[in-house]
Amino acid sequence: MPDDLVVAQPPEDSVPSKKRKRPKSAEKKGKKKKGVDVANPVKKMTWTNKQRALVFAARGITFHARHLMNDLKVLMPHAKSDSKLERKEGLYAINEICEMKNCNMTMFFEMRKKLDLFMWLSMVPNGPSARFLVQNVHTMDELRLTGNHLKSSRPLLTFNKAFDEQPHLSLIKEMLKQMFATPNMHPKSKPFYDHVLGFTYLDGRIWFRNFQITDQTEGSLVEVGPRFCLWLIKIFSGSFSGNVIYENPNYKSPNQYRTELKIAASHRYKAKAEKNAKKAAVEIVPKEDELDEIFHTITQDELKQAG
Amino acid sequence: MIVLENPLLEDAIVDEDDGENSVEEMEIVGALKSGKISEQGIKTISHVNNIPKLKERLEAIQMKLPWIETMDVTVDLKVPTEEMKLVINDNFKQEMLFYKQSQIGAQQSIARLKSLGITTQRPEDFFAEMVKSDEHMKRIKEKLISKQLTMERTEKVTKMRKMKKLGKKVQQEVLKKRAEDKKQMLDNVKKIRKGKADQEEADNFEINTEPETSSGKKKEINRKRKAKDSKYGFGGKKKIAKKNTQESYKDVSSFSSRIHSKPKRSAKNDKRKGGKPQRPGKIKRANMKSKSKSK
Repeated sequence: MPDDLVVAQPPEDSVPSKKRKRPKSAEKKGKKKKGVDVANPVKKMTWTNKQRALVFAARGITFHARHLMNDLKVLMPHAKSDSKLERKEGLYAINEICEMKNCNMTMFFEMRKKLDLFMWLSMVPNGPSARFLVQNVHTMDELRLTGNHLKSSRPLLTFNKAFDEQPHLSLIKEMLKQMFATPNMHPKSKPFYDHVLGFTYLDGRIWFRNFQITDQTEGSLVEVGPRFCLWLIKIFSGSFSGNVIYENPNYKSPNQYRTELKIAASHRYKAKAEKNAKKAAVEIVPKEDELDEIFHTITQDELKQAG
Repeated sequence: MIVLENPLLEDAIVDEDDGENSVEEMEIVGALKSGKISEQGIKTISHVNNIPKLKERLEAIQMKLPWIETMDVTVDLKVPTEEMKLVINDNFKQEMLFYKQSQIGAQQSIARLKSLGITTQRPEDFFAEMVKSDEHMKRIKEKLISKQLTMERTEKVTKMRKMKKLGKKVQQEVLKKRAEDKKQMLDNVKKIRKGKADQEEADNFEINTEPETSSGKKKEINRKRKAKDSKYGFGGKKKIAKKNTQESYKDVSSFSSRIHSKPKRSAKNDKRKGGKPQRPGKIKRANMKSKSKSK
């Protein structure tokens, strides 16, 4: 992480006047809290964690993928956007773009054949980075879910236990955590907690869900969207570079999957054709007509032979 | 060692030049799974899982930040492995699992936030932009309502269909009963006709040969008959009905000056000229007849 990103505290004037209200209220809260609980470890509520994420895509993504990306941007007030990356630029250019945009991590979408959506998560200057296949995409717009929450309230993150069981998953968990957690007191965020992001590792994939908390005491939730699931392909030690440090043994590329389907279909055709050929090969022997013998004239030779 | 140079071009480029080094390294690590050359010389597919490197990278990116910065919770749902298989194959169960995880996580986080003395709930008078616009929510609402309406409609239609089926049955029964009644009545009539001679006998024994009319069925009204009755009268007194009364005397609605105020036509002041000669009176004609006969 570059040093300039870990600035301890911004000068007061740097905060736009429009958004000054929120830090003030937070200070008040801090005071109150001090009065209530002195032994609290959290000293002062200030915006100290200056992480920013660059969320953007390569050229050639479909509208559906773009909508998913925009939904995620809405959920991440600390996200920055950029114009689409040209294909010729190469992935390594992303690191420079992130540096220019003051971002220390990136979520990058690319699409192949206008069919398969891939997502890169990367911690920018030094890595690691991970590449996922994005499946089961449903954007907020197409899901007619009744939940809704404040636009930039900070999410609560939940992970299931499976993330702690394998080293590559715990690394992914840390990356997801930093990516999706909005920094405390972020000027664009709102100081209320009304939604949960759920990351579940199930069936070899990471499932993403977003729920609104409708009742905090009872803990009832209503889903908001979007939905997608990530299938890990590889983890690289650097950011869009470096050695492969993990490779998913179960991953099957969509191209391979499609060819397998085709081959299976061709097998089916072949089997059918063979069966038909076998049927055709069985010769139909006509039955002998018994009445044919009636009209047979017995010759002298035949009589002699019969004895 | 597998080095990624341009991942857009290829997923992984296997660099076999420094193979020996990496093999050694990996063996020390104890995580060697990279390509092995089998007896036939065919390279088997293998997968990298460099655990120490993964751990090192994790340590490198971990930030020592207070919990409030990330607010993450790890939830252990403790689903048995057998049940997990069922969950994987069942979408509904899967969604339930996600929901439960988020629910438990949210409860834990909110409790923790409250213990830190942070207000979690948004005040009711705090309005701000939401993730989904009002228009979007309106669309969702409309969709829900239309869904409900269609469901109600289909329910109604099925109910109606059932009722119709039942109604048909009832009607059939009614028609059957009516036909039976008619048949019975006709039989009775026949019996009566046949047994008219024995009427006295029947009277003696006080047998009611007529069919019972008080079966609850109403007699059908002949509307045409009714209309005619009201027009021409039916029943009641006939004697005084045509007499003048005070009212009928005073009623001059039938008087028309056009007709009634003209001077009466008579033979004397008949202005009609030409035409047929008037027919002589009865006596005159008789006399004329007798005269001609006597001739």
